[in-house]
Amino acid sequence: MYPPANPTLPCTAGIGLRAPHYREVLRDLPKLGWVEVHNENFFGGGAPLHTLLKVREHYPVSLHGVGMGLASSTPLDEGHLTALHRLCDAVQPAMVSEHLCWNAADGMVINDLLPFPYTTEALEHVARRVQQVQERLGRQLLVENLSSYLSFTHSEMTEGEFLAELTRRTGCGILFDVENLYVNVRNLGVDAEAFIKAIPAEAVKEYHLAGFSERDGCLVDTHNHPVYEEVWKLYESVLRHIGLRPTLIEWDSDIPALSVLMAEAAQAQQRLKDCHACVA
Amino acid sequence: MLALHDDLSDFAFAIVQGKESSPQIVTAYRNYPAAVAMEIYRNNYRGNLHDALAGAYPVIKQLVGDDFFRFLTREFIAQYPSRNANLHHYGVELAGFLTAFAPAQTLVYLADVALLEWACHVAYFADDEVPLNIHKLAQIPPERYTDLILRIHPACRVVRSHYPVAAIWQAHQPAAGCDFHIDLNSRACIALVSRKDDVVQVAELAEADADWLHAIQSGVSMGAATDSTLARHPGFDLPAALQMLVAQHILTNFNLGATT
Repeated sequence: MYPPANPTLPCTAGIGLRAPHYREVLRDLPKLGWVEVHNENFFGGGAPLHTLLKVREHYPVSLHGVGMGLASSTPLDEGHLTALHRLCDAVQPAMVSEHLCWNAADGMVINDLLPFPYTTEALEHVARRVQQVQERLGRQLLVENLSSYLSFTHSEMTEGEFLAELTRRTGCGILFDVENLYVNVRNLGVDAEAFIKAIPAEAVKEYHLAGFSERDGCLVDTHNHPVYEEVWKLYESVLRHIGLRPTLIEWDSDIPALSVLMAEAAQAQQRLKDCHACVA
Repeated sequence: MLALHDDLSDFAFAIVQGKESSPQIVTAYRNYPAAVAMEIYRNNYRGNLHDALAGAYPVIKQLVGDDFFRFLTREFIAQYPSRNANLHHYGVELAGFLTAFAPAQTLVYLADVALLEWACHVAYFADDEVPLNIHKLAQIPPERYTDLILRIHPACRVVRSHYPVAAIWQAHQPAAGCDFHIDLNSRACIALVSRKDDVVQVAELAEADADWLHAIQSGVSMGAATDSTLARHPGFDLPAALQMLVAQHILTNFNLGATT
């Protein structure tokens, strides 16, 4: 269907690049496998895009969206699609990804990543929209599993089964966020092993890792903390079952010094290396 | 209509307007009740919009303090729900909102500072354009100057205020010292927003220069703009204005208009 992105991401650890680190990264050009940025921060072009294009000269870039609303019940936002297309043309990213979530209904927009019931109807709806995005961009889209704080009584399948069927129908890839899965295990009682078994390993093109916080017993996907030990353990298990993939460290609030992010990336890199030895 | 539509609609009303959530949502989880989850989503919604406003209006936030800013944005968010998936579009109405916001009425300059900050926010994301090459302009025979149509950089914005908003803005930039004195009734101000490479800057414009820039922006030739400006401001200094606007990266290109 859609050829994989070219150039591809190296199978190493990268970091989510955010505004507080632009200057330092461009000045020092630290050793980073690759970087990922949030699409919407560059939609207007202007100064941010100018910076990103300079970054792109030195690192492979992956574009990660937070606003497409693949499962929203309102039509796909044409302006959003056009802006993403324009950004892809300018940046020539190695990967383009979005979340398996919704953000708009009935004229309301909720700038968040929201869960929906995993029904056959929703599957057809999301598959149509993923296809629409891929056709517009002329490339494969990676779809990321979601961290959720609640679930629906009338879901007809698990998120893993939903994603597996989505890739089969559309040829999209999967961005496997290991921390999101861990959050769902703890919050919703999702079976991690069943999730890993449900998704086709060959469709998984990238991993995400991050830290969470807790509120009144609920784990919240705040990306404001180093990766927890339990998530590293789950990541190791995922590496063994699915294989080695480019792995991103995400940090989005209380953003620490670049060196902290790089130390986290080094930990992911070490596990990729160890696992490579164990499968070799 | 999709059944999915009803689920999402109920969920959206529960988040944005605090309505009861859908009966289709599981009510209890291992470690918390559904009400906790719903409250997290409501907080995320408001928190993300608050952060978007804090990003677009850093000077307003400094002027009123973090607590008042949180209170003010909460009221604003209740009146102006998000309409765009791109958070950088959120908050254009803040200046208008502040004009009518009773608890901030003593800060008479606040709405105008918000207007200036939104202009800066838009300038930051405006398309890039190569600044005017003055040497290229020098190749035009002087007798053709009056026919020149000048192009203005997409980041360029002009904000007029009865208060010295440019000075207020400059005093609250990260590099500015904290020792400043601004007399609020000192003067009206015409603030010129532009972007040089990646940096948004604010300068002050003289009335005559602002008139001329306004005429140029409306698309008339340099000759017509200069004549109309001189008629109102006999002291208008065209070479000085040109030099200043080129230095600020306001002018980007030119052509010789319809007569060529």
